[in-house]
Amino acid sequence: MDVATKSRRHLGRRLPVILAGVVLSLWTVAIVGCLQGGEEPASSATVLIFKHGKLSGDATVLPGLLREFEQRHPGLIVREELLPASSDRQHQYYAMNLDGGSAPFDVLAIDTIWVQEFAQAGWIGRLDDIVPMGERAAFFPSAVAAATFGGQLYAVPWYIDAGMLYYRRDLLDRYGLMPPSTWDDLVHAATVIVDAEQDRRLSGFVWQGKQYEGLICTTLDVLRSYGADLWTGDLDQAERGLQFLRDTIAMHKVSPPSTSMADEESTRHFFGDGQAVFMRNWPYAWPLLQRQGSPVRGKIGMAPLPSVPGHAGAPVLGGWLLAVAEQSSRREAAGELVRFLTSPDIQRAIAIQLGYNPARRALYSDASVLDARPELMALYPTLLQSQPRPVTPSYILLSQAAQPEISALVVGRKTPRAVLDAVRRQADRYMGGGAASVAGARQ
Amino acid sequence: MSRLSERAWGYLLAAPAFVLLGFVALAPIGAALWLSLYRRMPVFGLDEFIGAANYVQLWSDERFWAACRVTLYFTTLSVTAELVVGFGLALLLDRLTSRSGRSSPWEQAMVLLPWAVPTVVSAQIWKWLYQPDYGLLNYLLLRVGLIDAPIDWLADPDWAIHAAVVMDVWKTTPFATLLLLAGLKALPQDLYAAATVDGAGPWERFRRITLPLLMPIVVIVLVFRTMDAVRVFDAVFVLTGGGPGNTTETLSIYAYKTLFQTLQFGYGSALATAMFILVAGLSALYVVLLRRHFQESA
Ligand SMILES: OC[C@H]1O[C@H](O)[C@H](O)[C@@H](O)[C@@H]1O
Repeated sequence: MDVATKSRRHLGRRLPVILAGVVLSLWTVAIVGCLQGGEEPASSATVLIFKHGKLSGDATVLPGLLREFEQRHPGLIVREELLPASSDRQHQYYAMNLDGGSAPFDVLAIDTIWVQEFAQAGWIGRLDDIVPMGERAAFFPSAVAAATFGGQLYAVPWYIDAGMLYYRRDLLDRYGLMPPSTWDDLVHAATVIVDAEQDRRLSGFVWQGKQYEGLICTTLDVLRSYGADLWTGDLDQAERGLQFLRDTIAMHKVSPPSTSMADEESTRHFFGDGQAVFMRNWPYAWPLLQRQGSPVRGKIGMAPLPSVPGHAGAPVLGGWLLAVAEQSSRREAAGELVRFLTSPDIQRAIAIQLGYNPARRALYSDASVLDARPELMALYPTLLQSQPRPVTPSYILLSQAAQPEISALVVGRKTPRAVLDAVRRQADRYMGGGAASVAGARQ
Repeated sequence: MSRLSERAWGYLLAAPAFVLLGFVALAPIGAALWLSLYRRMPVFGLDEFIGAANYVQLWSDERFWAACRVTLYFTTLSVTAELVVGFGLALLLDRLTSRSGRSSPWEQAMVLLPWAVPTVVSAQIWKWLYQPDYGLLNYLLLRVGLIDAPIDWLADPDWAIHAAVVMDVWKTTPFATLLLLAGLKALPQDLYAAATVDGAGPWERFRRITLPLLMPIVVIVLVFRTMDAVRVFDAVFVLTGGGPGNTTETLSIYAYKTLFQTLQFGYGSALATAMFILVAGLSALYVVLLRRHFQESA
């Protein structure tokens, strides 16, 4: 036996020790991680857990309103639990936590697109008595439609969103241009301004092109302005719409390549730093762009998204609603909190202090609201026109399957036709047979 | 009792350990396999046995094959780089510390640091480094003139996966370094002395002594790192979320989204099972290679 073999044996004997060490340290890390979950202090009052995504703007406003609720309802304490702002991440949280049949929270803020799914799954309870039939017309009809499942209301609209066009008024004025009403105008204006400004950092048009829910919203905004849709309807027109989306980056070069990773916040920062002439975004960005110290304060305007001549576009309805977890043991108190947070007074406060758009229509002609947020007046018709994404319990299946396809279009890896073929096939699969037919059976 | 053979006794005594192992390791795998034979979608109250239908669907699922390609590409690149860089670092550290006789805690800490940082945190840090306008990486590359316009590493479908590989290499090379360093420290010095006397140069010594003797460790590094890389999730998920255009969607990200975003438990389990088969196949390959290596050298 040579020396090398002998020492290999020697090493062989040590190996288990090394391995054991590695495994042991991994375990320790895992166990320490598990032990870190916090415990909550006992309390005699009823504690309502209110789960919602992080709101932008002044972080003291909502807690202040919740304290007001507690004063009006002695014995109730509301504890907020925050989720990340991204709609997709929040959905993951809810799907994982609600599926087990128990809910570690009582009231939850949900995206417009989830109400059907959550109601179908039995995760959220009916709220018919919170907003009786006769009072529903006080809210935007598209939001109420999205929240109604099997004829019953499962969530109350909290604030409402619709895709808007933000523009740099100062730059348009400098070149004698009007806010664009067609996509061609937009491309033209963006090109003229970017060429003339000679500013390497300036882009024409930023929008949400990352692979996530926001991409579906932008895509639908554009497709609907072409008189088309993603999952149904005219194929040729849809193809043109998708081609335009890609062309903004590849052909017209008005949108930067980084668009394929852009979401609401990154585009808001980009535009907010003065690096873009146009931006597609939700109304929440307006007060943030106009606040003290913002580089574009006083230089911007907001308009409905452009469309294609001959087609009346309709922006995508977004927004969040409040619901009560079906498994909550404090459903009555939870319902009270929903009633409170969606009441006219509180919606007014949220509109004025946080800049979110009220889901109640009357507030758009409310003097104190318009005083603080005059832009809401012009926003109203657009919000009224907005159309929801497909109202179906299968929406997440549709959206999740379509996101990678459209993202591949944005980076030039797929043609509009290939994307549409795939997306239509997915629609057949999720809406045609299986899930959809069972969706009816369960009610 | 005494009639039981020694062998039977051995099995009997080891039985509790086997049962425990069975529960811990095999039960979840078995459960996933079982679930993969169902169409289970709790949102729709669906729970039906459908046999192999999920696997049939898997076979014609473009997204699945794309995810396999991304996963294997990621694994090959990152494991190779980790091994090479890890070996280099281990040799360097071995050199540094053999003179003083022992390594200083500082050196060890430096090497281990990337490994000790939770992946989610380091992925977030790398996301900032990759940021096109303010990120350090573009700043440095522009500074030394390697590029003349900022590159958006994560938004570009060609760069994104490589950006993830670089991050993974940074993060897990320490693991390779540490194991290889331990191996180097255990090598008998008299062999090197004898080889030097016989006139072998540094390269000869490395090739004829270090490399063959360290082979078992190399294989262990490969097995561990391959298994981890095939299952990679958080590093890529935080950096890109699978985008753009699914160019960075690994099998585990696809399985994760199927299981926890859209709650398709049956199909998601089929994806997870496919991933398990891939890992098992690769490990089996390594075991065969290792065995052959030992047989050849014995
Ligand atoms: O990013 C997408 C999301 O953006 C906004 O939060 C909208 O209100 C929401 O409806 C949409 O799904």
